[in-house]
Amino acid sequence: MISRQSLIVARWEFLRFFKWKQQLVSYLMMLAVVAAISLWGFFNDETKKQYNIAVPANFSIENTKLFQFQRPSIDLNTQLEQMKSDQSWQAVVTEQEGEISLYTLTGKKWLQQLEKVLQQHYRQQAALNIGLSAEQLATLEQPKVIAMRYLDQAYKGKDTPEKMIAMGTLILLLVGLSTAFGQVLMSITGEKQQRVTEQLYAIVTPQQWMDGKVLGHSFSAMKAMLTSALVMLIGLAVVSLFSSKPVDLSWLNVGVILWLIPFALAGVLLCASFMGAIAASIDDPNNSGKSAVMLLTWLPMVFTFMVIDSPSGLGMTLLSFIPFTSFAAMPVKMAMMTVPWWQPVLSLALLVATVYWMRRVAGRVFLRGMQMYGKEPSWADIVRWALSNKTE
Amino acid sequence: MVNLLIGFFMQLIVTAISKAYASVQAVKQVSFQIDSGEIFALLGPNGAGKSSIIRMLVGMTKPDSGSIMISYQDQQFDHVPRRLLGYLPEDRGLYPDKSIEKNLLYLAQLHGLSKSVALQEMDYWLGEFELLERRHDELKQLSKGNQQKVQLIAAVLHKPALVILDEPFSGLDPINQEKVVLFLQQLKQRGMTVILSAHQMAMVEKLADHMLLMAQGQVVLAGTLQQIQQQGQGPREMKVGFNSAVSLEQLQQLPALLLAQPLQANHYMLTLVNDVGVSECLKQLLALAELTQVEMQTADLHQLYLAAMTKHNLQVTV
Repeated sequence: MISRQSLIVARWEFLRFFKWKQQLVSYLMMLAVVAAISLWGFFNDETKKQYNIAVPANFSIENTKLFQFQRPSIDLNTQLEQMKSDQSWQAVVTEQEGEISLYTLTGKKWLQQLEKVLQQHYRQQAALNIGLSAEQLATLEQPKVIAMRYLDQAYKGKDTPEKMIAMGTLILLLVGLSTAFGQVLMSITGEKQQRVTEQLYAIVTPQQWMDGKVLGHSFSAMKAMLTSALVMLIGLAVVSLFSSKPVDLSWLNVGVILWLIPFALAGVLLCASFMGAIAASIDDPNNSGKSAVMLLTWLPMVFTFMVIDSPSGLGMTLLSFIPFTSFAAMPVKMAMMTVPWWQPVLSLALLVATVYWMRRVAGRVFLRGMQMYGKEPSWADIVRWALSNKTE
Repeated sequence: MVNLLIGFFMQLIVTAISKAYASVQAVKQVSFQIDSGEIFALLGPNGAGKSSIIRMLVGMTKPDSGSIMISYQDQQFDHVPRRLLGYLPEDRGLYPDKSIEKNLLYLAQLHGLSKSVALQEMDYWLGEFELLERRHDELKQLSKGNQQKVQLIAAVLHKPALVILDEPFSGLDPINQEKVVLFLQQLKQRGMTVILSAHQMAMVEKLADHMLLMAQGQVVLAGTLQQIQQQGQGPREMKVGFNSAVSLEQLQQLPALLLAQPLQANHYMLTLVNDVGVSECLKQLLALAELTQVEMQTADLHQLYLAAMTKHNLQVTV
């Protein structure tokens, strides 16, 4: 059970790094940047304008919404001079000895559209030359739709909305664990360097202290994940607002999200406990190589990304049950496939048991590390403490 | 209203504790007993084993042999329970980027105090240390002496039965050392039992009820100041005056004297040779001239300590 003291430590740790004014300002700045980019795109949309293009007199291309083709009876040099001086046209197309050139003042986004129109025109010309009709050419250019039929009824499909949620969760887990990494390292090694630990030891047990740390930083990580998700959604809404498209949140599958929450929470707790154990074994972060080991907590997300397109494969199956990776893999598997109810239940139970064990390990490492008075424990010491059962 | 007096029974009995770290024997067969409301001092130079004993009392390490028993009211424990303990470690510090109030409130709440009680106690002690006006200042803005005062407050805010202070005088100027002496006397008045370690013997000898003088993990002297003076083998000195002229050379030739230092005309401070009785010495002095003054000098704690070290054939490592 979590003691009252652990909750006080957790609250202290959470608030210690919770600079709400700074965070609010940074989120507002982020939204302002998204809004500015959207506004820029809205007011500078090159596809909403019309461009005059000078083409050779014998050019039989038809005007489009974007391009007005003009056939001036002046030579190329004069056309180019005019383009430079009064912008009579924005591009000049020439054909000399089978070679086509496109002159323009500088690189512009709409030139890609023009290139497509010209390519289409030349394909049509080529088709006519070999006797193909416009319809025959259209048939050739039409890609064939291949409908994927999966015999595995559990597989929901390659690009389902649920996969978006799963990918989003992996990204949010990375955000949360990055937050926890910095805070756990700073908090634990900082307290050692500020020499607060011995005083705290006389008040709370090492386990209560470590539980509080793990909880506090897990809350911080969850807060970072939640606020990042909200900022992403608000950003999406802002972009939709300026692109005149309605906000589409139909892909938010409540069933999948409800399973994601306990896995994400347990995963963050597990990783924060692991980071706590490593940080507790570091005496001086400036002269210890151990902090890099804390980055191992990112591997579950990396491994899951690697097997995401094969959700029923052996890799994903193993990852979704091994407690050190299941918090990332099982929700992704569930998003991609229909799984029997016992699989997430078993995976979650194993994960919760591992969280319990890991928090005990972290408490032991903190206690034993503190008793070494400035000498950093070896990896052998840490493994021995992890496998022992003494907390005091 | 702050409750100034705490009435309870507490007794700490330490029996033959020893502790070794790798090849170093930090504590060897140390025993002592402390009763309610006492100030008990662990004295000795750096490396004497004081902090090792304190860490065993706090529970950070366990003795390799021996026992620590504490009776509190009608309960018995084989370790000091955290709820009874107020602790100022030798390696100390708080959160420098947090205010005095936030630091103290956090530690008080961890001790189980409600916010209102903690604030009430905090007001009292901050007032005593003249820090009331600075309660919202961040710790890093305070001088080292003031930071140490905040640490002392943190150790006693929850009114512990037993306060353990490891080197409370270290790093303080003489004025602040005196303030700490007053603080310790206040704790005693409030009924708290205090264990402190120090190497400033002059400061502690007027404060402690009982003391334990240590060197290289061993007890060299123990008891009240009076008991220590009785058992101590410090240098025996006497101030004497003669009614007629006696030269320094004459005194230096006396077999009973180790040293003679002139003070004023015909007055000397004499150090007696060990194993020579005072009466034998007086006999030799009277053979030179008639005495107008004989005043035995009491050895201070530092002298007693050095003498005991010599007796135990130990070296002082400072």
